[in-house]
Amino acid sequence: MAIPLREYWQLLVVYLRPQRGRVGVLALALFASIGLQLALPQILRRFIDDAVGGAAAGTLTRLALLFIAIALSNQVFVAWAKYLGETIGWTATNALRTDLAEHCLGLDQSFHKERTPGEMVERIDGDVNLLATFFSQFAIDLLGNGVLIIGTLALLFREDSRVGLALTLFALLGLALLLWLREIAVPSQMAYREESAHFFGFLGERLGGTEDIRAAGAVAHTGGRFTAHLRSWWPTARRAYLASIATWIVTLTTFAIGNIVAFAVGLALFRAGAITIGTVYLIFSYTELLRRPMERIRTQLQDLQKAGAGIVRTRELFALRSRLVDGPGTPLPPGALSVEFAGVTFGYEADEPVLRAIDFRLGAGETLALLGRTGGGKTTIARLLARLYDPTVGEVRLGGVRANDATLAELRGRVGVVTQDVQLFGGTVRENLTFFDPTVPEERLWATLDALGLADWARGLPAGLDTELAPDGGGLSAGEAQLLAFARVFLRDPGLVILDEASSRLDPATEALLDRAIAAVLRDRTGVIIAHRLDTVRSADRVLILDGGEIVEWGERVALAADPASRYSRLLLADKAGEGVLA
Amino acid sequence: MTTWRYLAALMRYRPWLYLANGLCWTLVHLAPLLPGLLAKWFFDALSGSASVGLDPWSLIALLGATTLGRIVILWLGSETDSYHRFNMSALLRRNLFDQILRQPGARALPEAPGAALSTFRDDAEQVEETISWTLDQIGTGLFAIIALGILLATDARLTLAVFVPLIGVLALMRLASARIERYRRASRGATSRVTGLLAEVFGATAAIQVAGAERCVIARLRGLNDERRRTTVRDRTLTQVLDSINANTVSLGTGLILLLAADSMRSGSFTVGDFTLFVYYLNFVTEFTYGAGQFMAYYQQSGVAFARMVGLLGGAAPTALVAHTPLHLRGPLPAPPPPPSPAEPLRTLAVRDLTYRHPQSGRGIAGVGFEIRRGELVVVTGRIGAGKTTLLRALLGLLPADSGEIRWNGTPLTDPAAQLTPPRAAYVPQVPRLFSDSLRENVLLGQPEDRADLPAALEIAALAPDLATMPAGLDTLVGARGVRLSGGQIQRVGAARMLARRAELLVVDDLSSALDVETEQRLWDRLLARPGTTCLAVSHRRTILRRADRLIVLRDGRVAATGTLAELLTTSEELRAIWYGAGVERAGEGAAG
Repeated sequence: MAIPLREYWQLLVVYLRPQRGRVGVLALALFASIGLQLALPQILRRFIDDAVGGAAAGTLTRLALLFIAIALSNQVFVAWAKYLGETIGWTATNALRTDLAEHCLGLDQSFHKERTPGEMVERIDGDVNLLATFFSQFAIDLLGNGVLIIGTLALLFREDSRVGLALTLFALLGLALLLWLREIAVPSQMAYREESAHFFGFLGERLGGTEDIRAAGAVAHTGGRFTAHLRSWWPTARRAYLASIATWIVTLTTFAIGNIVAFAVGLALFRAGAITIGTVYLIFSYTELLRRPMERIRTQLQDLQKAGAGIVRTRELFALRSRLVDGPGTPLPPGALSVEFAGVTFGYEADEPVLRAIDFRLGAGETLALLGRTGGGKTTIARLLARLYDPTVGEVRLGGVRANDATLAELRGRVGVVTQDVQLFGGTVRENLTFFDPTVPEERLWATLDALGLADWARGLPAGLDTELAPDGGGLSAGEAQLLAFARVFLRDPGLVILDEASSRLDPATEALLDRAIAAVLRDRTGVIIAHRLDTVRSADRVLILDGGEIVEWGERVALAADPASRYSRLLLADKAGEGVLA
Repeated sequence: MTTWRYLAALMRYRPWLYLANGLCWTLVHLAPLLPGLLAKWFFDALSGSASVGLDPWSLIALLGATTLGRIVILWLGSETDSYHRFNMSALLRRNLFDQILRQPGARALPEAPGAALSTFRDDAEQVEETISWTLDQIGTGLFAIIALGILLATDARLTLAVFVPLIGVLALMRLASARIERYRRASRGATSRVTGLLAEVFGATAAIQVAGAERCVIARLRGLNDERRRTTVRDRTLTQVLDSINANTVSLGTGLILLLAADSMRSGSFTVGDFTLFVYYLNFVTEFTYGAGQFMAYYQQSGVAFARMVGLLGGAAPTALVAHTPLHLRGPLPAPPPPPSPAEPLRTLAVRDLTYRHPQSGRGIAGVGFEIRRGELVVVTGRIGAGKTTLLRALLGLLPADSGEIRWNGTPLTDPAAQLTPPRAAYVPQVPRLFSDSLRENVLLGQPEDRADLPAALEIAALAPDLATMPAGLDTLVGARGVRLSGGQIQRVGAARMLARRAELLVVDDLSSALDVETEQRLWDRLLARPGTTCLAVSHRRTILRRADRLIVLRDGRVAATGTLAELLTTSEELRAIWYGAGVERAGEGAAG
């Protein structure tokens, strides 16, 4: 498959423009080096002809010293160019990595639920790594090598037009061959990368699930799956390797032909008395000089083949658009937000509705207890409120504003969610609380911790808020992680708070502590509480019971509790009967 | 273990393949000897100082023939090399993976899975590269020896004058290698911090999006990226500068030849052909020196790579990394391991003095003892941070207990981590991990279906109604970490996974935390209705506490009380606090202890 050069060019323009100055200096260093390289064979020719012709020893020594001086200064330029190239490359790929991560993070959940974190690492880091040499060396080096080839051919033309012509034909043929090869190698590279992504995706998940694998006695089984992945990975690795060796073979053949042409033309002209033996050497030497840039172009094309695979896969990611279109920015009213579902039907898959025609309205500042069986659609309501998904039919309104009309940033800034599965990051407790936002003032942090009764706990940590958490939140109990998640949400002072099975993992003692804090924080906010314990929702204003994606009961909690026929009061009864936990 | 010993062990893994590969690549690298000689003879023939009786046109034809031969060898070499290379990195990855799965499951990795993943990817690849380079070194080394021999025979004085500086370059490389290693370590560390963050971020996209934290997380990524750029540019620039010193030697060498050969060339004792040969070989001999320098750098980098891989082995011997494990890349697959023989039916499980402290926080459990008899439900309860989960994990060997004795029917278990697995014991953690695979695979995880009694497991785990709504039933694929499933569904799949193992002892960590009461009730009813079910569960739900035959109340990692609910409600203040949710004023203290 062909990759239009325009794609490469666009990437280069976007990511190299901010580094114009540095790229300019790099170009200068490269051109200086090219001039010096072209000068060297000229000196060799003079030297050979002078030596064979019996010139003075002083002349020869001067030529030799000049040769050494040029060679040395050339190396200075080369080293400088390498340093600049690396810096440019890494600056550019870092920017690309960041952009790609940002783009993917902006995609909706229907994208993420189908991809493992390991796969994403491979696509954002692995694929972009392939582009590193592309940015650092390729563009400028390709240009430099092109100029070097043209310069060499021009100097050969100056010697004799027949020599120039012969070697120009050779160079064109060689380059055409190499360009043709590029088209062959990219698909095998892509297949290889694809299979690696599967392999590392598998691996990443298993590395995160060692506890389950061990406890289930599934070690041998998992090992077998590992083997299966290796077996499907290997053929793609072989094909990719052979494709790259094919490129090498073509280069090798090309240069053998080049040498043969140089020798043959040189021999014929020498026999005809048209050129000196020094010039034959010059021709030979310039053909050798062509080798490096053409070979560099070959390896660069190899990098480009890899980069091509990286670019295609990167473009695929960039081309994905979030299914959630950001709203035009109708502002949400300040303070507590009312919540309204108007005829909302929604399914993760097109024809499998999880919610059917949901209608309800919760006033600003009220608290709703969302009850119902697992799988009834409670969590989906929470996801729609945070606009992780858009309803298939109907609309969700917050503070009277259609969720799709507010900007995502504002909406999510005003809706706080605590889920059961708390995601923690390797970093300090502070960073985990603020999601790496360094601008959160210290007082706000402590005020929040105080409000949640966590201040003592935080002070008791080995290094306070600067205590490093092991990756995956290691070192914290599930309950502590949960408390941390509460703090995270309340720190942002949302107008609507959703607690999704949030307290289910706390022991009753801690939960009671948290209940008080929750009550305090909910005082001026709208709350949606999804809970299994009636204890947690005893202060709710309204109750909504879902079953099979439909509302089976809705009303004021007090009224429902007083109505012996309501489902809610039956639940309460069961609770009083001593089953303790309910809903 | 030195880097070399690791490499040697790897080379011995496929010795014949390695040798065949070595032969091919030696020939590939020796091949340029001929064009050099042909070029020399060509110029000698032109200048009339011919040393062989071939006319220039036949020399040109020979040049063509040599190339053809080289192509054939190169093709053979790529077949052997691609297979050998793949074997090398695959073996490292296999051994690493096997060893990690042998570690206590809840503490298998010393770092984030994302960071470990970069070791699996990059460090294994680095070693693969280095091993492939050993062959190139042999080839170019032989080339250098033969070429030097030819040059010495042509002009010994000149050869020494030109090639001795090369040895200086080698020495320089050695001096710089310690620094290379340090820079490399820093850059690898920075890299794994980036991949680690990416893995965490893409494991938590919903949480980040809901928190509107995209920008801050990206800023964090940018910071780590910058750090990585600084360290990597430093590392690579040093390597490149060393390269350019090397390349410099070729030009310097040519200059030296010019300087020293001027006189003998004028006198005709050193021909243009000789000059051609010197310059031609100089290029290749320097390639060897360059290659040797590069190889040394690779060697250092492999040292870093091995160190990082050994870091993932846990307590296992470093040799385990390079053990000659069969890979089965081709040919028939090995027969699956025989299913474990049925366990001796459980009568009693007795635990004494079980202690485990988390190395980081120093918290954990200390001196925990209890007994559970066949058919009993024993419930572990306590506040946050009391050590409930730690107790289950330490018991099952998912955390390495510091001390303790576990007796199965009175016989001490020598290796609980291996012995307290199915069919003796099965476990469902607080948050079961599901894999991106079918539900069937997630439940069975290798358990033969005919021994799993899958319908019963699904029935007890109350999954049947969920399955009925899924498009492909048990063959429905669940997304990354089972995102498509609700928390409750994931937990029930975890429960089904445990039940499918038909173990003597069920260990349940807060199974009901994501379940509604009806589902949970049904689950426990059916579970406990199975004759002979023995269950150790963590819970603080009254429903479960009430059903328990005995309670173990943990406080700050120690057993605060044990007995029936009725007894403890009168004797244990801690249990009363939990039961009535009244211990508010002490909860903070409990959580911090």
